[in-house]
Amino acid sequence: MMFCHPRPPVGASLLAMVANDDTGHLTPRGFLRFFASKLAPTVFCVLLGIPGLAHAFDLQQLSEQLAKPEVIHGNFIQEKHLRALSQPLTSKGTFVLAKNHGLLWLLKTPLQQDYRITAKGIARRDGIVWQMLPGKSAGAEQNRLFLAVLQGDSSGLQRDFELSLSGDAQNWKLTLVPRSMLLKQVFNQINITGAALVQSIELLETQGDSTLLRMQDSTSAQPLSDAEQHDFAE
Amino acid sequence: MTLPSERLLPRLFLILLLAVLALAGWQWRDGAPLSANLMELVPGTAPDALELRAEQRMQEPLNREMLVLVGHADRQQAVAMAQTLGEQWQASGLFEKVQWTLQADLPALRTQLLQGRLAMLSAVDRQLLIEHPDTFIQQRVQALFDPFNGYSLVPSQDDWLGLTGRIQNSQPQRGSVQLDIGSGTLVADADGKSWVLLRARTTGNAFDMNLPLQVADLLEHSREQAAQHEVQLLAASGLLYAAHGQQQAAREMTWVGGGATVGILLLLLLAFRRWRVLLAFVPVLVGMLFGAVACVALFGHMHVMTLVLGSSLIGVAVDYPLHYLSKSWSLKPWHSWPALRLTLPGLTLSLITSGIGYLALAWTPFPALTQIAVFSAAGLLGAYLSAVGLLPALLKGVELRPAQWPLRVCEHLLGCREALLNQVKTPVLLALLIAFCVGGLLQLNSKNDIRQWISAPQNLTDEARTIARITGYQPTSQFFLIRAANQQQLLERQTALSERLDQLIGLEKLQGYLSLNQLVSTPNAQQQVREALSRLPALWQPLLDIGVPAETLQAELTKLQALPAVDIDAALSGPLAEPYRPLWLGPTEDGVAAMVSLQGINNPALLRLQGEDLPGVTLVDRLGELNTVFAATQISAAELKLASCVLIVLVLILPFGFGGALRIVSLPLLAALCSLASLGWLGQPLTLFSLFGLLLVTAISVDYAILMREQVGGAAVSLLGTLLAALTTWLSFGLLAVSSTPAVSNFGLSVSLGLVFSFLLAPWAGRQVHESTAAERAA
Repeated sequence: MMFCHPRPPVGASLLAMVANDDTGHLTPRGFLRFFASKLAPTVFCVLLGIPGLAHAFDLQQLSEQLAKPEVIHGNFIQEKHLRALSQPLTSKGTFVLAKNHGLLWLLKTPLQQDYRITAKGIARRDGIVWQMLPGKSAGAEQNRLFLAVLQGDSSGLQRDFELSLSGDAQNWKLTLVPRSMLLKQVFNQINITGAALVQSIELLETQGDSTLLRMQDSTSAQPLSDAEQHDFAE
Repeated sequence: MTLPSERLLPRLFLILLLAVLALAGWQWRDGAPLSANLMELVPGTAPDALELRAEQRMQEPLNREMLVLVGHADRQQAVAMAQTLGEQWQASGLFEKVQWTLQADLPALRTQLLQGRLAMLSAVDRQLLIEHPDTFIQQRVQALFDPFNGYSLVPSQDDWLGLTGRIQNSQPQRGSVQLDIGSGTLVADADGKSWVLLRARTTGNAFDMNLPLQVADLLEHSREQAAQHEVQLLAASGLLYAAHGQQQAAREMTWVGGGATVGILLLLLLAFRRWRVLLAFVPVLVGMLFGAVACVALFGHMHVMTLVLGSSLIGVAVDYPLHYLSKSWSLKPWHSWPALRLTLPGLTLSLITSGIGYLALAWTPFPALTQIAVFSAAGLLGAYLSAVGLLPALLKGVELRPAQWPLRVCEHLLGCREALLNQVKTPVLLALLIAFCVGGLLQLNSKNDIRQWISAPQNLTDEARTIARITGYQPTSQFFLIRAANQQQLLERQTALSERLDQLIGLEKLQGYLSLNQLVSTPNAQQQVREALSRLPALWQPLLDIGVPAETLQAELTKLQALPAVDIDAALSGPLAEPYRPLWLGPTEDGVAAMVSLQGINNPALLRLQGEDLPGVTLVDRLGELNTVFAATQISAAELKLASCVLIVLVLILPFGFGGALRIVSLPLLAALCSLASLGWLGQPLTLFSLFGLLLVTAISVDYAILMREQVGGAAVSLLGTLLAALTTWLSFGLLAVSSTPAVSNFGLSVSLGLVFSFLLAPWAGRQVHESTAAERAA
C-alpha cells in the first residue's frame, strides 16, 4: 500500500441511487398546484371564521364577537367582476358555517352546486354523494389554515397579511394586505365589513378582477338541521 | 562467486527499469491516470452509449445536489433557520445555487400555459373536449361561478374556455410537500414538526476530491448551529456518501497500508537483524511500478479500487527476496548470488504458477478482476525481475546472521506435527478435514449485491429514508428508456407505457412517474384538439348566457386555432418543464429518445413485464442487472480458476512429476475448500469478493507447497520460509478484513482464512529428492 491515496468517492452516485435519496423537483409546478386549488379557499375560509387576532384591542374584540356563534345560517350573493365583462357574474345561494364542523356552501342560481369544507378537505356534491376534490385533501395548506382559524389560532393569518381595522363593533371594516411577495403577485387587498357577523368580503386581484361576496340575513339563532348534520358527518 | 552473467544482469535490469520509469513518467504527464468511477469496474452488460448517457443524466443530480430538511415544531422557527442556513451556504462559495424559497416567474408561467393550450392539455381533458364538448362548456360555466375552483394564473378574459386552468390542475402531483404562502418556502409536516426544504447544488460533483469533504464539514457546522436553536437537520446527497467514503478510505489505507508496511519491515529486521535487508522492499516498489504501468498501458487508466486491492501485492512481491534470504538459516556463510542460484528454479516456478493463477482472472467478464489480474501479474513479473536481477547485487557483501529463534519455533512446529501424525494418520486427518468442509459448506450461502461495494453508514441511509418518508419523494434507480423514429412515435410509445403504469399506480405497485407525454401531447393529438375546438361555437350558448360576448369567444377561438404545434423542444423551454428537462435525450443515431422516471417501486420484475412487449421501451435496471452478473461472474471465475489449476499441474509435471504436481495443486484447492467451509461455520456469506480472495490464495499458496516440497535447506528452514511468506502476505491482505467496506473486508477475511489453511497444509506437499538439496546436505 505504497499508494495511500484516499479512496475517492467510489460509487457515490451509485450509493445515492441505492439509498433512494433525491432532491425532488420543486419547481413552479408546486407553485401552480398551490394556486390551482388552494389560495382562494384559504382566504375564503379565513374570512368566514376571523380568528382570534390578539394584536390590538379592537381586533381582539372583533374576534371574540365573531367567535361567539356556534352555527351561522345565511344567504350569499357572489359577484365576480371580470375586466372584460360589463356585467359581473352573479351567483346566489345559502351557507351554513358550523364552528366544530366546517362550512356548507350551497349555490342555487344560476346553477346548482353544493360544496363542503371540513377538516378532511373540500368536497362537491355529485348526485347524492360527496366527492372529494382532488388535490384538496386533508393536510393541505388551506385546511391547516381553516382549522387554525376555526380554533381561533391567528398565527397563520397574521404572518401572511397586514391587518387593519376601522369603525366600531356594529359597523367595522377589516383590511388585509398581503405581506409575502408570492401573495402580492396575486392579491392587492381583501376588504371585510360587518356588524355582529361578517357582511361582505371583497377580494381585489392584482390583474384587475375582483370578487365581492355579500352575506345577508345571517343568523346565529338556528341550530344545525338533521340534513346539515348528516352532510357534515358523511 | 559471482558469474559474468551475474555482473551483467543488474545493468540490464537497470536499463529496463529506466525504460519503465520513463514510460510511467509519460503516462503520468497530465496528472494521475486514475479513475474513481465505480461503474467502470462492474461487468460489461455493455450498455450502449445512449443507455449510458441516460444513466449519467439520472445520476447527475445525485452527485451534485443536496437536499436538507430543516425541522422544528414551530414552522416559523424552521423557516427562519432555513433562511439563515441558506444565506450562509450561498456565501460559502461551495454552491452554485442554494434554494429555500420558490421563485416563480409568473409572467413566464402564463406565457407557457397560453402557448401550450393545445399541446399541454391532458389526455382526460382532451377526451372530454373531443367526445363531450357540451359537458366541457358546462364545466367551464360552473368553474366561473365556483368559489372553490381556485385562482387561475391566467385571467379568464385571456382564456374563456379555461384550458390553462385544466392544464394547471392536471400537472402530476407528488409528495407531501406544500407551499407555505407566507414565506414562499416548501414545507412538509411530519412527526410533529414542520420541515422546510432547502436545496443546494454544488459547483462541482461528488468525484471532485475536496468538495465532498467541504460540503460535509459545512453541513456538520450547520447541524451544530441549528441544534443550538433546537432545530433538527436531515440531509441527503451523494456528496455525503462520497465524503464519508473518502474519510474512511484515507483512514483505512493509512492504517492498513501503513500497518502492513511497518509490519513487514519489522519482521525483516527481527528475522535478519541487518538494516540492509530492508532492501528486500525494492522488489515490492518495482512490482507496484510495473503493475501500474501495465494497467495504464492496457486500459488507459487505473481504477483506485485496483490500486487498493492490487497494492496488497506487497505481501506477495516481498516473497521473492524472502525465498533466498531465508536460506541464510541453512547456508553459512550466506552470499546473495549463490543463494539466488539455489532458489532460482523455485522462484521461477512460483512466478509461472502465480502468473497463471492471476491471469486466469483476466478472462472473467469483469473489468475489476481483469484490471487487478493485469496489475498483479505485471507486478509479480517486475518483483521477480528485480529480485533476480538487481537485489543480489545490492545485497552483495552482506553477511546475514539471522536470529535463530524463528528456526527453533519452526522446528518445534514440525515436531508437533510429527507427534500428531504419530497419533493420528494422515488419511484420518483428511477424513476429519473433509467432514469439517462438508459441514461448513452446507451452511454457506451466497450473497451478491452491488451494495457491498460501498460502505453505507447507517446514519446517512437512515436520514435519506426519513427524508423520503417525510417528503413522499421516493425516486428509484430504475427508469424506462424509450426510443423512437421521431417525436410523434416517441410520444405515442410513452402514452402506451403511461397506460400500463397508470394501472400499476392503481394497484399501488408504483407511486408515480414522470414522462414527457404528461407535458406535451403528440402532434396528432394537438391537431385533434384543434379540430374539436372548431365544433364548439354550436355549443357555447351557456357561456353567452352568462354574458361573455360572442365576438370575444370567436376571437379567442381564432387565436387558439392559430397556435403553432408545440414540439418537445419548445415545450421544454418553459418554466413548467423544469422537472421534465432531464428526461429528454434528444436526437439519437436512429431517431429520438427519452426517459420515464419512476417513483416508489416495490416490484421491479413487474415493471419489466409491463415494458416487455412495448416496442422501443426498455427498463433500465442497472442494480438488478449487476447483481445478476455478479452471480454469473462468480461461477465463471471459479471455472477459470479450475482451468488455471490444470495448467499449473501441466507446468509442474516437468520438475515434480505428475503425482507431485497433482499433490502441489491439490493442497491450495483443499485450503480454499477449508476457507469456504470456515466462512460457512462463521456464518459469513460467500460473495464475489470472498471468492476472489480465495482464488488469489490458491495462486499464492501453490508457492508454499512448492517451497515445502523443494525443502532447500531442510524442512524447518522451508517451513520458516513459508511462514515468513505467509506472514508478510497476511500483513498486507489480512488487514483489509478490518475495512468497513463490505467488499474489501470480505476479501480480506477470505484471504486470511485461506492463508492460515495454506500454511497448515503446506507440509503435506511431500519431499522432492533434489540434486541441490543432496549437494547442500553433503556440504
